Amino acid sequence: MDRDVEELMARVRARDADAFEVLYDRYHRLVYGVAMRMTNDVSAAEDLTQAVFLKLWSTPELFRGGNFAAWIVRVTRNRALDMLRSRAGRSESELPESLPEADSIEDVAFANIDASRLRAALDTLPAEQREPIELGFFSGITHEEIARRSGIPLGTIKTRIRAGLRRLRSTLDGLVTV
Amino acid sequence: MTAPHESMLDDVAVYALGALPASDARRMQDHIASCESCAAEYRALAPAAAAVGMSAEACPDEERGAVVASPLLKARIMQQVRRDPGNTARNRVSRRGPLVWPPYLVAAACFAIALYSSLMNLSLMQQLKSDQSQLSQTQHRSTALAQNLAAERETIADLTSDQAERFNIAEGQIVRVNHHLYLTLHDLRAPERGKVYQAWTLPKGSKVMEPSLTFVPDAHGAAVIALPQNADQTAAVAVSVEPQGGSKQPTSKPLVVQSLV
Repeated sequence: MDRDVEELMARVRARDADAFEVLYDRYHRLVYGVAMRMTNDVSAAEDLTQAVFLKLWSTPELFRGGNFAAWIVRVTRNRALDMLRSRAGRSESELPESLPEADSIEDVAFANIDASRLRAALDTLPAEQREPIELGFFSGITHEEIARRSGIPLGTIKTRIRAGLRRLRSTLDGLVTV
Repeated sequence: MTAPHESMLDDVAVYALGALPASDARRMQDHIASCESCAAEYRALAPAAAAVGMSAEACPDEERGAVVASPLLKARIMQQVRRDPGNTARNRVSRRGPLVWPPYLVAAACFAIALYSSLMNLSLMQQLKSDQSQLSQTQHRSTALAQNLAAERETIADLTSDQAERFNIAEGQIVRVNHHLYLTLHDLRAPERGKVYQAWTLPKGSKVMEPSLTFVPDAHGAAVIALPQNADQTAAVAVSVEPQGGSKQPTSKPLVVQSLV
């Protein structure tokens, strides 16, 4: 875990608004970007961003270590899914926000890769892998819904998602070691 | 690894992406906790899934079509956070704010202010009384000066009047005018220590001189005395040297004796 973020979160748990503001300045673009990508609505994205950061302030103990950026992305995604579900009937799918310590497995090194390089890495995936991955993450629909919309067998969708994530992981490993 | 388990690993990837239905996701979470190969697959793929989300970070570069949150959003959020009573940063600011005095210092300050105010009030009252007294004295002096001035003007008017009767004597004149009597003397010697000059008047039909004013000449030996007696009722005027304070009867030979009849 990034020691700087660890210290900031410790101060937030001690109700230090200045530390919270530093975290906001550092991560609000990520939260807002995910919210915009999922809702495609400026007003909704701002509401989500506000909700996420106020949740961080009110219950900072939900973050139990690991990659802070990945954690706050999960929180944002789940909040956005709640909003999308309320707008239209959707199949449930979400990421756990509070994982046990043993499951905090996101590689911290990836947190230091800037968004543009992450997007470039994602763009290296074949469209047949990238599209179900992006649909699954940002649209909040289940793999069954993806299969139904695309007309592709469910097994194929799952295989392509796995293959795409493995390839992306390999690309990210390359970025970290370079 | 069996084919069914290979299919399970595909589900692990979908789970890592967050695209499993909630009920399946809970079962997968339980499975990963007990299956090492699935846990290893999850550990390998979850960072990639997280990177998908992190790739969506809003671009701050306006030239590349920035997607940025309104600055007002931060203001709204920070306003709520800083309003939180538990906010230690807020409390630090508060401690740097207004100075809070302990009660005993407040009481001491109040007492000092009250004491100072009382002393100031007392001093101001005394000053006011003193000023009022000085003002009263000044008014009295002013009244006396005005009366003296009026008397002197009357004296001058009488002494210069064409209707005045003037009785020449060796030391000056006795002037009678408008029922008034005046002694205008000059070249008088200063009386001895403890002595003054005293005027005497003889009422008409009387044989006894009555005491009138006492006086001393100025440095030049001059004196102008307005006698209080009615000139029309006075038959004669005399002047003698008498002890300080005057006498009821002349005790020395008069240096002036002048009949007005």
